Order: sequence, then structure tokens, then C-alpha cells
Amino acid sequence: MRYICPICGYIYNEAAEGVPFDSLPDSWGCPLCGAPKLMFEPEAVPEPARPQPAAAPAALDEDLQQLSAGALAALCSNLARGCEKQYKEEEAALFRQIADFYTAAAPAVENPDLDALAALLRADLDSGYPGLTAAAKAEGDRGTQRICVWGEKVTHMLYALLERYQREGEAFLQNTQVWVCSVCGFVYIGDTPPEICPVCKVPAWKFDKIEGRRPA
Amino acid sequence: MKKLIAVRNLRLCTKDCLCLYVCPTGASDTENSIIDTAKCVGCGTCAAACPSGAISMVPVDYPPQQKKAEAVLAPAYALANAKASQEKAARQLAAAAETDGLYRLLTAMARSVRLVNEDLLRESGYMLPQSGNAHALLQSWVENPPSPGFPVEAARRLLELLPNNDAKP
Repeated sequence: MRYICPICGYIYNEAAEGVPFDSLPDSWGCPLCGAPKLMFEPEAVPEPARPQPAAAPAALDEDLQQLSAGALAALCSNLARGCEKQYKEEEAALFRQIADFYTAAAPAVENPDLDALAALLRADLDSGYPGLTAAAKAEGDRGTQRICVWGEKVTHMLYALLERYQREGEAFLQNTQVWVCSVCGFVYIGDTPPEICPVCKVPAWKFDKIEGRRPA
Repeated sequence: MKKLIAVRNLRLCTKDCLCLYVCPTGASDTENSIIDTAKCVGCGTCAAACPSGAISMVPVDYPPQQKKAEAVLAPAYALANAKASQEKAARQLAAAAETDGLYRLLTAMARSVRLVNEDLLRESGYMLPQSGNAHALLQSWVENPPSPGFPVEAARRLLELLPNNDAKP
């Protein structure tokens, strides 16, 4: 039996390893990208083609078409990055100024806790991404399918890391580093970042190390 | 009017400095290693001479961006709003975190979710700062600032600086 890492595609082959997948400890993770054991899936036996999932309804509530303050912050920081790539420094700074306004204006989430954050991530994995992927496939929109592939993997990893924190506490973060891929947002725990990002394939130097709080 | 400008990727540049020898205007010789776009005439001689492939020629004007279907935009916007809530929750939880590990994990999550959301919105009609969509948004902010503290001047200046690629000629 073979088990596949849903993030980077690493294959754990029981026959080659000599250790049944089920006997690996729960703390075992993907040797390439660190994805936890619980996320691995048994290799699928090819099955007959299934009908395409129905596309999301064409018209949703008008409210859903409105972007929140927090989403407008991301929209503007995205445009700032677009200006940076074109070496337009003044324009980038102006878009960042508007992004900062909206970041500060985003209303606080009431009584946030780790369970609530995990539930929000779960909702994207259960319905947000499948719905958007289906709509993008129906329209032949490969760009949107691309961000679904990346975003879904990154969200899977965030969900798994929250679960792991709730199970193991601080221990797995002690004496090691937290890295974020500055291109796709993939989060990696380890002393050094992976040689290439398992999700978007950029080199290690594109990862940013997350620093702890500065001493007061 | 020049159609291209030269840009240098410092990660690739091996300082062979042939661009300095061949540039007719001195645009490639600057104290911060960023090619001076005002001096660059877009001739491409530096890019052709560069042994490390560190200089590329990029267009001054960009094409109209790809059109997006309403059926894709509706679920994309809904997902963008969900991502914004996650980012905010992660920020609040990071601010309240009492341990170093949790603080770093949640700070990473807030950063990660923002990057994912930027990518999502880039694919939802806001890829180019010069797009008609970006212009319409800036215009709406100038006409109806969302609140008194909104930086209207920034939006007004951006409308001056950025051409609208989707405007009918």
C-alpha cells in the first residue's frame, strides 16, 4: 500500500520502507514538506470517470459580492505587490497606505479562539474551495483553478498545524523556526526552510522567518 | 515614445558589469543597482549583453487583463471575505498569545492567509493596477470616501499615475 502527501505529492511506500503506515507515530510528518501523518491519503485506485460536480449557482446573494474591509485590505496589498513587480515604488506605497487603512478598519472578530479559527479554515476546505473550483472548471478559468490548488493546500496545512498545536502544545515549536513562503503563504516548521516550496516551487530564499516578539 | 524598459534581477546579477559598458545613457549605473527607468531608452542592448541573464525588458504599457465570469466572482468574493475573517482572528489571537510558539504560529497564519487572499483577489479581476476594475474602485473612493479617515489623496494620486488599460480608445 502507498500513501500520498496531499501537499507535495511525496509517496510513502510501505513495501519499500518495511514499516506499515499505521505503525508510524502520530508525530511522524512528511520528510519533504512536514505535512502531518493524519493528512496523508492512501493511493487511490483509478476509478471510472465520474460526472463533473455541479457548478456553483450563478447568482448568489448580492451581499456576497461585496468585499469586506479585510478583503479590500488584501485587494490593495495585492495591487501594491503588482506595482512593486513593475518597479513602480510610488504607486506601491500609495496602495499600501490604502491597504493599511482597511487592515485597521476591519472589524474585530468576537471572542476568537483556536477552535473558531480552525472552524473557519474547515469551512473553506469543505465548501469554499470545492465551490470555487467547480465554478472555475465550468468556466474554463484555469487561473482561478490555480489559486484553488495552491490556496487549498496552504489552508490544509494551516488547519493541520492548528490541530497539532492543540494536541501537542508549545513543544513542537520550541527550538525551531516558523517559515512562511512569501509567494503562496505555505507555512513550514523547521530549522531551515525547504529547498523549494512544496506548494508553489519557489526557492528557499523566498521564505520569511517569523520572529518572536521583541523584548519590551 | 519608448515601448520597453530594462529591469535588473539582483538575485541573478553576477556583476560582470557589461551593462555599464554598453548602456548609451548611463541608466544601468546607479547607487542602488536599480536601473533608472527615467534614463532608460528601452534599446535592450544591456539585456543582450548581460552574461548572467539578469536583465529583462518589460513593456511600458500592459494589455487589458483577462475578463472574469460572474459565476466565478461570486464564490471568489465570498471566499475572500472568509479569508479576511481568518486573518483578523489570527491577528487578534497572536496579539493575545502568552507563549512564544503560539505567537509565532498565529503571526505566520495571519501572514499566510493574507498572501492567499491577495492571490485570490489577483485572480478575481484585480491582477493589474492599471486595470479598469482598479480604476473604478479608486474612482469610487475619491467620489465617496468610505470614512473620514480614508486616505483620499492616495486614491486621487493613483488615478493620476496609473493609466486605465481597459478604457476605450
